[in-house]
Amino acid sequence: MLPAAGVGPGVTRRPGVAARLLILPLVAWAGAFVVLPTAILVVYAFGRRGTLGGVEPGFGLDAWSRVLDPTVRVVLARSLAWAALATVACLVLAWPVAWTIARAHPRRRTLLLALVVVPFWTSFLIRTYAWVTILKGEGLLNGALLAAGIVAAPIEMLYTPGAVLVGLVHTFLPFAILPLYAAIEALDPALFEAAADLGAGPVRTLREVVLPLTRPGIEAAALLIFVPALGLYAVNDILGGGRVDMIGNLIADQFKGAARDWPFGAALSVTLLLAFALAWRLAGRGRSLAAGLDR
Amino acid sequence: MRLVLAAVLFACLPVAACTRREPAPELQLFAWSEYVPDEVVDGFTTETGIRVNRETFASNEEMLAKLLSGATHYDVVQPSDYTAEALAREGMLRPIDWSKVPGLRNLAPEFLHLPHDPDQKYTLPWMGGTVGIVVNAERVSPETVRSYADVFRGEHRGRIAVVDDPREIVSWALATEGLPINRIDASSLARVEPLLRAWLPQVRVFDSDSPKTALLDGDVDLGIVWSGEGALLLDEDPKFRWVQPAAGAHRFVDTLAIPVDAPNPEAAHRFLAYVLRPEVSARISAAYPYTNPNLAARRLLSAKQLANPASYPPQEAKLEFFRDIGAAAVLVDRAIARLKAGL
Amino acid sequence: MPTLLRRTLSAWTAIVLLFLWLPIGILVAWSFNDSRLNVLWHGFTWRWYGAAFSDAGLLRCLGNSLQVALWTTLLAVPLGTAAAFLLERFRFRGRMALETLLLLPMIAPEVVIGVSLLALFVAVHCELGVATVVISHVTFCIPFVLVAVRARLATLDPALEEAALDLGATPTGALLRVVLPVMAPAITAAAILSFMLSFDEFIVTWFTAGPGSRTLPIEIYGRVRRGLDPSLNAISSVLLLATLLLVAAVGWLRRHSPGPRR
Repeated sequence: MLPAAGVGPGVTRRPGVAARLLILPLVAWAGAFVVLPTAILVVYAFGRRGTLGGVEPGFGLDAWSRVLDPTVRVVLARSLAWAALATVACLVLAWPVAWTIARAHPRRRTLLLALVVVPFWTSFLIRTYAWVTILKGEGLLNGALLAAGIVAAPIEMLYTPGAVLVGLVHTFLPFAILPLYAAIEALDPALFEAAADLGAGPVRTLREVVLPLTRPGIEAAALLIFVPALGLYAVNDILGGGRVDMIGNLIADQFKGAARDWPFGAALSVTLLLAFALAWRLAGRGRSLAAGLDR
Repeated sequence: MRLVLAAVLFACLPVAACTRREPAPELQLFAWSEYVPDEVVDGFTTETGIRVNRETFASNEEMLAKLLSGATHYDVVQPSDYTAEALAREGMLRPIDWSKVPGLRNLAPEFLHLPHDPDQKYTLPWMGGTVGIVVNAERVSPETVRSYADVFRGEHRGRIAVVDDPREIVSWALATEGLPINRIDASSLARVEPLLRAWLPQVRVFDSDSPKTALLDGDVDLGIVWSGEGALLLDEDPKFRWVQPAAGAHRFVDTLAIPVDAPNPEAAHRFLAYVLRPEVSARISAAYPYTNPNLAARRLLSAKQLANPASYPPQEAKLEFFRDIGAAAVLVDRAIARLKAGL
Repeated sequence: MPTLLRRTLSAWTAIVLLFLWLPIGILVAWSFNDSRLNVLWHGFTWRWYGAAFSDAGLLRCLGNSLQVALWTTLLAVPLGTAAAFLLERFRFRGRMALETLLLLPMIAPEVVIGVSLLALFVAVHCELGVATVVISHVTFCIPFVLVAVRARLATLDPALEEAALDLGATPTGALLRVVLPVMAPAITAAAILSFMLSFDEFIVTWFTAGPGSRTLPIEIYGRVRRGLDPSLNAISSVLLLATLLLVAAVGWLRRHSPGPRR
C-alpha cells in the first residue's frame, strides 16, 4: 500500500527519521559556513577601521556612510552594466551554437559539446593572459590584420573596455551554451512540425514557440553568467589595464589594497549579498532553474 | 552509508584544521611577487634542508591584510619601510637576534638606522630603490621628459603606464606642487586633486606587478615605475632611458622582518644570515637590479650593473622616504577611487 | 530548415568554436616556443615541459589543487545530492530558508564569499590551510551539485518508482535501488563539475589559503604577473591533454555500457 502522500517527482511528504538525519549535516554546514560568516561580516560592517587594517572593537557607522558614496554608486552601476552586456553578448553568440548542437546527429553532438566544454577546463588566468598575447599592439591579431593589409597601423585593442568584454565573453560562453543546449534539446520535435503545418516561418516559430518554451534555460544561463561576471575583477585588471574599478575590485581592495578599510569592505559585501538574496527570492527561480539546467 | 561517512568526515575536518601543526623544518616566507629569486630560495633549502613555503603579495597592504587576519603565521615577511614602522609600533615584529645574523656589517651605513627603525632592532634592509620615469627613446625624446608634469603634459595621453599604488601616485602630485609627500590630509589632497584629475585619465595601464610588460610590448611609450623594473628594462633594450624626476622621488628600503608569532624563528634567522652573504646578495641583484645595500656584494657586481642609473642613482638626486600616515591612508584611497570612477 | 539558414548556423558555430579555442592554441604553441618572452617564434623545444616537471613548487601546488578538488568533490557531492532529495521530495519547516542558504554561495559574487569565510576563520582563530580551502570550495560547490541533481530528479519518470513499490519495495529501498542508479549519470556529471570548479577556483581560494596550501591557480596568478612563464603553458597543456583523454575515455565508456540511451 502506498504511503498517504505517494512517491515520485512533484509529490512531497513529511520527513521520516532517515530524512531528518540527512537534514542535520546540511543545516550544520549552512549554519557554520553561510550564516555565521555573513553574521561576522555584518559585525565587521558596524565596526571601526583598525590602524593597520582589520577591525577594532567599537560601534561605528562610517562604513555604511561610505557605501552611500557616489563612487560606490558609479562603480556598482558600471559593474551591473558590464555584467549585463557580457550576459547579453554571451546569450546572443551562444544561441545559434546551442541550436546547431541540439539539432545535430547524436555522435556529433557529443563531440561538439566536448569542444565547447574542454577549453573551459584550462586555467582561466592563462586563457586570459593568452588574450593579452593576441590583442596587444604587437600581438597576433594586429599582426594578422597588418599582414592582410586590412589596416595600416596596429589598432589599440588591449587595455580597452572592448578587450575586457572579449575576456568576459570568452570566460562565460560555455555557461551560456550548455543551459541553452539543454533547453533546446528538450523540445519536442513535434512542436516544429505543428508550427510548420500551421504556416509559421522560422522567425515566427522562434519567437512564438521556441523562445517561450526555452525561457527557463535562458534564465538559467543569464543567472550563471551575470552573477560571476559582476564579481570577476581579474579580467578587468589584466585586459583592461586596471584603469576602471569594478565592484569586485572595490571590495577586494579594502582587504588587500592601501585603504585597509575592512568595515567598508564588509559593508559592501553584505549589501551585495542582501541584494542578491532578495532578487533570488523575488524571482522565485528555484524550480525553473532546476528544470532549465537539466543534464 | 556514504552519507554517514561523509558527515563523520566533515565533522573531523574543522578539528583537524584548527589544531596547531607540530613544528616541521619549514620556513614560511611571505614576500613580494617579484623580489626573491627562486635560486636563492632553492639554495637555502639545499644547504639547510629547510623547506621554504612561499606566498607572495603585490602590495604592502595585501601583506598586512593577511598578517592582521592572524589566520596565517609567517616566519619571514618583506615589508617596505613605512609598513615595517607601523608593524613595529603595533608590536607585531620580533627583535632580530643580530648575533645570529653576522653579515650586518657588510651593509652600507646609509641604509642603517633609518627613520623607520632607528635602533635597527626589527628589520634587515633587503634592497633599496626609488620610483622614476622610464622612457622608450624610440617613441619619446628623453630630453622632453624631466618631471612628472612632463609625463602628463597631454601629448602622451593613452601611452603611459604607472604603478597601481594610490599613495605613490598622490606623492607625485604632491612633489609637483612642492608639498611635503608625508603630509597627507584633506587639505593637501584637495590641493593636488586638480592635477590628479588631469593625470589619471591619461594613463593606459595601472600595474604594480610588472609594469615593464606593457613597455616591452610597445603598448605604452613611457611609464613611472619602480627602479628595479626600470633597471631591467634598461638591461633588456638600450632604447629605454631612466629619468630621475627633478621634483623629487620616493626613496624606499624594503626589508626583511620576523613576525612576533613566527612558528620557526630559528629558520628565519638562518634565512636572514643566508641572504646577507655577498654571493647570494649578488645573485639577488642580478635578478632584481634594485639598489643593493650590501657593500661586500656590490664588489661582486659587474661594472655594467653598477653603472645602471636606475639601480644606483646619483647622490644628488632628491629622494625622500615614506612615513606611516595612519588613517590618512583611507583619504588617499578614497580620493583615487573617486577619480578613477570619473567623479 | 532552409539551407542558407543551416549554413549560416553552422558557420556561426564554427567561428564561435574557433574563438573559444584560439587562446588554447596559443598557449599550447607557446609551450613549445624556444623563447621566454614569447613575442616571436624561435624554435621548437621541450625545455618548458622539463622545467615545469622539475619545478618542485609548481608540482606541489598542482598536488594541492588535486587534493583539494578531490576532497571537495567527496564532500560536496553527497551533501548536494542529499540536499537535492530533501528539497525535492519533502516538506518541512524552514525548507525555503535552507534552500536559499545553500544556494547563496552560488548566487553571491566570489569575492564576497571569500571575504566572509576569511572573516569566519579569523574570528575562530583557525589556521589557514588545505582544510579551510576545502571548506570554502565545498560551500560553493554544494549549490551547483544541488541544482544539477535536482534538475534530473524533477524530471524523473514516476512510473519507475511506482513499479518498484508495486513489486514490494519499501520507499527507501525504491530510492536506493531504483532511483539512485538512474540518477547516476547526473550525479557523476555533478561530481565532474564540482571537481573542475574546485580545481580552477581562484578568487575564494586567495582569501582562504595559507602558505603551505597554495593551489595551482594562485601560483599561476603569482607567476603570471611576473611575465607569462612558458612552463605554466607547459603544465596547462599537459592538463589539457589529460582532460581530453578523460573526456574521450568517458565517451567510450558510455557508448559501450548498457543503460538508457544518452
